[in-house]
Amino acid sequence: MSQDALIWCLVAIAVIAIAAVVALTLRNSALGAKKREAEAALAQRLRYTEGELGRMQAELQRVRDEQDGVIGEAEQAAEESTKAVLKGAARFLQSLAAEQTALLDEVQRKYGGHSVLSDLMDVNHANAQMARKAQGIAVMCGAPLGRRNQPASVYDVVRSAQSQIRNFHRVEIMQPSGIALKASAVAPVALAVAELLDNAASFSQAEAPIEVTFQRVQKNLCIIIDDAGVSMSDEDRQAATALLSGDEVPRLSQLGTQPKFGFPVVGLIARQYGFKVDVTGVSRYGGVRAVVLLPEELWTMEETPPPASEVPVSSIRRVEGREQAGARTMHGLPKRGARKSPIASVPSDGSASGGQAAGPRRAGGGLGAFQRGTLTGRDLDAPTPEGSEGA
Amino acid sequence: MHDEPDSELELTTALVPLFVIAKGRALPADHEYEHTTLVTAQEGTEAASRTLTPEARAVMDLIADGFLSVAEISGYTRLPLGIVRILLAQMAEDGLLYVRNPAPRAERVDRELLTAVLDGLKTRFGA
Repeated sequence: MSQDALIWCLVAIAVIAIAAVVALTLRNSALGAKKREAEAALAQRLRYTEGELGRMQAELQRVRDEQDGVIGEAEQAAEESTKAVLKGAARFLQSLAAEQTALLDEVQRKYGGHSVLSDLMDVNHANAQMARKAQGIAVMCGAPLGRRNQPASVYDVVRSAQSQIRNFHRVEIMQPSGIALKASAVAPVALAVAELLDNAASFSQAEAPIEVTFQRVQKNLCIIIDDAGVSMSDEDRQAATALLSGDEVPRLSQLGTQPKFGFPVVGLIARQYGFKVDVTGVSRYGGVRAVVLLPEELWTMEETPPPASEVPVSSIRRVEGREQAGARTMHGLPKRGARKSPIASVPSDGSASGGQAAGPRRAGGGLGAFQRGTLTGRDLDAPTPEGSEGA
Repeated sequence: MHDEPDSELELTTALVPLFVIAKGRALPADHEYEHTTLVTAQEGTEAASRTLTPEARAVMDLIADGFLSVAEISGYTRLPLGIVRILLAQMAEDGLLYVRNPAPRAERVDRELLTAVLDGLKTRFGA
């Protein structure tokens, strides 16, 4: 009896348990379905929102790009108009400086024997520096450089560059033999070297030398500028290299209130005229070594003809028989004949007259005798026949 | 921008200005290297003159074989007198030159001496 009751009890419990399990399972699945539903809804919402966000971002980017574009355009326009204005001014200055140089040249020749020459040379020096600045600004604004139509020795081109910096006496130039720059390269190379020399002078001690040497490397001619300043940091080197390659042209507005347009100018003209400039080397003094590398199209190994102004002056006092071959210096100037025999004021024994007057100087003999006379008169030590007597 | 038909400025002035030729040196004193001062090259200076500037070398070439006056050098080289004087002063400092100054002015010589000289000349050549 009690056993039956127990069994029934157990059955009842089992039934209740099963019912509970079933009920719980059902509830669970219902909850799961609801959850999935909610999740799906949320995911969809999320996707939508994400999509919306992306669109918004794209829109924002577009607006930004547009704005950048407009700003860029405005900057470009401002740059262009600034350049146009400056270009006009720079060209005006350029031609004024050139005119002034021509005037000063003339005045210096006119008063060449006067003590005012020193001051005129100082004025000319100041003018040369101004001309360089004007050229630099003109180049930055895209104006052409002044042009020279005569080839010149590379030594003279570097001396021309030297004349355009303040402390020009610090520059020491080695003399190469017979290397000439073609006419088209004269002005741009002079300006580029001038800017590099100025840079070398500004970044080294006040009296330290700046040395310019030349080297031929394969088909290139290198102008090497060594200063005794401090070497550049890696950052500076990279910035300089970028500027000197001409790839990076800073805007005028980025040059600052004390504009440093040396390297940008050098980069621009180097690119325009087809040469290369490098400042990453270390000089023999531990400073910066700047190298201007000129390809063979820009130079030749020819001797430069003397400038046209150096016409031989022999016509002024041409004496027959003087114009023999070889009576010219290497620069095409007439040369005086050698005075081989000793100077004698009086042809007393006839020995001097034989050898001397028969030579090519015969025609100028009258003049020569006069000159000999003056010379002897001035030479207090020269033995003269009358020396011992009289006075 | 470079393709604009900008007319290029043509530079016709001397490439190397005079102050560079003079190396920034001051003019020598007035009484040094006057027009009529005579100069000639010292012997054995060929090696040294190779390192000179082209202008100084032109002067050396002119005076290598004999005395030449400062004024004449200026004429031949087409350099202003002052520049020639500066170059000569530098070359004299480097020991490349003999310099013979012109005779001092005549007023320093007394008349008696001149008369004596004249008399001497007359006796010698019979005027």
